[in-house]
Amino acid sequence: MGAKGATGPIKTLRLAWSLSDRPRAEQIGFGLFLAAMLAFPWVVKAGFARAVAVQFMLYALYGTSWNAIGGFGGQVDLGAAKSVGFGAYAVALLTSTLDAPFWAVLPVAVAAAMLESFVVGAALLRLRGHYFAIGTLAVALVWQELFVFWEWTGGARGINLPIKPAPDWAYLQLDPVGYHYVALGLLLAGLLVVNGIRRSRLGYQLRALRANEEAAASVGVDVFAAKLKAYVTSAALYAAGGAFYAAYFGYIDPFSVMPMDLSVMIAMTAMLGGAGAMWGPLIGAAVLVPLDRYLGAWLGGHGVQGIDFLVYSVVIMALAAYQPKGVWGIIASIGKVRRARGASRCAVAGEAVRRGHGQRLPGSVH
Amino acid sequence: MVLADVLVSGVLMGLVYALLALGLTIIFGVMDTVNFAHGEFLMIGMYAAWLTATYVFPDPLAGLPVAAAVGALLGVAAYALLVRRLLRGPMVAQLFGTFGLMLFLRYGALAVFGPNVRSVTHGVLLGKRVLLGGIVLDATRLAAAAGSAVLFGLVYVLLQRTRVGVALRATAVSREAAQYMGIDTERMNALGWAIGGATAGMAGALLTNFYYVSPTAGTLFAMITFTAVALGGFGSVPGAFVAGILVGVVQMLAAQYVAAELKLAFVYLVYFLAVMIRPQGLLGVR
Repeated sequence: MGAKGATGPIKTLRLAWSLSDRPRAEQIGFGLFLAAMLAFPWVVKAGFARAVAVQFMLYALYGTSWNAIGGFGGQVDLGAAKSVGFGAYAVALLTSTLDAPFWAVLPVAVAAAMLESFVVGAALLRLRGHYFAIGTLAVALVWQELFVFWEWTGGARGINLPIKPAPDWAYLQLDPVGYHYVALGLLLAGLLVVNGIRRSRLGYQLRALRANEEAAASVGVDVFAAKLKAYVTSAALYAAGGAFYAAYFGYIDPFSVMPMDLSVMIAMTAMLGGAGAMWGPLIGAAVLVPLDRYLGAWLGGHGVQGIDFLVYSVVIMALAAYQPKGVWGIIASIGKVRRARGASRCAVAGEAVRRGHGQRLPGSVH
Repeated sequence: MVLADVLVSGVLMGLVYALLALGLTIIFGVMDTVNFAHGEFLMIGMYAAWLTATYVFPDPLAGLPVAAAVGALLGVAAYALLVRRLLRGPMVAQLFGTFGLMLFLRYGALAVFGPNVRSVTHGVLLGKRVLLGGIVLDATRLAAAAGSAVLFGLVYVLLQRTRVGVALRATAVSREAAQYMGIDTERMNALGWAIGGATAGMAGALLTNFYYVSPTAGTLFAMITFTAVALGGFGSVPGAFVAGILVGVVQMLAAQYVAAELKLAFVYLVYFLAVMIRPQGLLGVR
């Protein structure tokens, strides 16, 4: 991934850390976010709120990963859950049968998901638009059916992970504070990877092909390779999230880690916040996950059955109808109006050249 | 069960899928929108038929006009209140909007009818068998297939032979051109959703004779229908017919000769293989 050449890895890291094109405001924002998440388990002691926070970070990771292929590349992936499942099952199976520690299994889980998405992606990414979306949905459902059908995956019964005396860092069986920081670490790693892509040659290629695939190809972008790289990267991050999920909950089955609803929820997390923006998935997850969990807790147990989902669905419909660009779209449009004063397109282009992107535009010979 | 039995039962089920795919493909053709709530329209149709069979006339087929009316109303309401706004946004907004609608209808049904699985106990065709060329068939399944085929034919004639059908197709080809020709495209959109809702509702009524009614009954059919529409080629009416039947046959073959639990995996596999060869679907155009 990222820029190749002698300064490759260093440049990629530098790109990843420079969080945006408007560094100061967003870096302050990111610093505040980071501080809030670091302080969270010391301020909030309630178990439920802590669990919601961990799930928020997990969905923010999923949404961030989705951004690589869906946000930058514009390919609507509705099969994210299969990679989550691959990650979760790799951990659950290897830990329960071989008693392998979490950190040894994590690379295996990620590699398995990457291999699967490479093979499947090589075929699927030839499809466009709705055909791709339905294709990813179909592949994810095939895996779900197979994992229910097979005996060695525990079938519909699922798998219980062995219980170790907590805290056990090797097996990732921790107290709530420990889980909080591991989830935060995963989220930061995901943000680093995806932000690195966004600022790299690959990121420009993806945005070029999102805008117009033929035009991008005609100026020399290897459209298929760019899509495949983004698709495999997102699968790796979903799998890391899934691996964490398995260790965190200690039990998985095909209905909890591979359902269609999870795939759609992941795409929705990225989109409702704002696709293609680093903040999008964070905001999307901050809205959707607490909404879902607290509605379930407040309304789920009593009164009318399904009332929590009814309210949830109304919120989703209202968001889709009234703010299709996502919450980040509102914030960005406010920012754009302000920046438009004084700043011309020329200045923006000049800045891009100054920052070293001028010679790295899509299609340029490397 | 011999091969002929399997094939016939596959075609019978496939005709119902074709009717479902028809509504979805019309909505897609006219508005470029995938309706995630299509299976839930079917589920509401099932409840309409079940209610009619339980409280009005003891046969779910009597619920056909009720299911059609409820489905059409639901479709128009969905368009007027939700989809009209979604069309202004990007494709993904439509996806989430109709996904929200799906959740709303599913959990709305759960709130109203509860989680219990229902089935009809009285019906003219219930328990009757028909002998057709040496193959014994359930009368209920035959009726569902025949009803679906007739309804598919009626909608096809409506699309091909009537002024309003031509207007609808014109809108599907080019919204702007249709507008310049004086076609009220807003009304055509609403009509597309009305047809989609009505056909899904009627398919539900036909299925109620031999299928359990529950708030989640639509989910399975929705996935099969998406696959059929994509397999046939988004927006292609003949494609919906061919792919619907193909999906039905593949499902039955897989259930009979591989494993009942994997029958859907094979449907998705066929979709996957087919679009590898023809990325625009069987009868779709790019």
